[in-house]
Amino acid sequence: MSALAIALILAGLFFLVVAAIGMLRLPDVFTRCHALSLTDSLGAFLVLAGLAVYQGFSLNLLKILVVLMLIYLLNPVIAHATIRAALRSGLRPWRRESP
Amino acid sequence: MLKVTMEMLLKTAALFIIWLILSGTSHPFNVGLGLVASFVVAWLNSGHADSPFRLVPALRMLWYLPWLFGRIVQSSLHLTALILHPALPIAPTLIYYRTRLQSQAAIVLLGNSITLTPGTITGEVNEQELVVHALDEESGHDLTTRRLEQKIAHVFQEQTSSE
Repeated sequence: MSALAIALILAGLFFLVVAAIGMLRLPDVFTRCHALSLTDSLGAFLVLAGLAVYQGFSLNLLKILVVLMLIYLLNPVIAHATIRAALRSGLRPWRRESP
Repeated sequence: MLKVTMEMLLKTAALFIIWLILSGTSHPFNVGLGLVASFVVAWLNSGHADSPFRLVPALRMLWYLPWLFGRIVQSSLHLTALILHPALPIAPTLIYYRTRLQSQAAIVLLGNSITLTPGTITGEVNEQELVVHALDEESGHDLTTRRLEQKIAHVFQEQTSSE
């Protein structure tokens, strides 16, 4: 049981690290927001799933589900608000220089 | 005078369940306090305009969410490959997407699904036009082929085929 939990948490950490690399490598606010959305969609999901497996069936399992639901509700709101603010303040998306 | 509506009772029940999960005790004082607090919060939040999500067909929604989750996992893997690729082969674009969905709830669900999927984020929503930022062409593929829209139209039983 705990082997599965460890595997899930490590997989989640991998996606969190990839998201952090994306934050550094990507060029502008729009593309960086995409990297951010990787943290909740797979990173946090896998880590929390690992914790849920580790916990087994208990009250804490329900708490983890509440946290997961909140993350899936709130993260799109934050990403959308950031992108809309960037668009409204006149930022244009980064484009690769055409040769 | 205090007017108790069905909506208030439903909100109270939802808040109370969350209270029970988070507190985790069955002490009578704690439970009673939670009941009172849930009701007061539901009462303070009553009297708003009707939520557009009142008429969401729950059963077809339960069918839609696993499909969306599958797409989220797929595009997460695609995004991971993009970020780790040495040449960083991204081609960000703004997509001006005109949807054929009619109801407000359907458009909200469309915008939220787009944002929830890694690689695409909804920027603006004006009536039926959505401004979507996509990281590359493949990320926006579900959108440009109208596949996502058709799934949501099926949830709400709306027509999207061009006449």
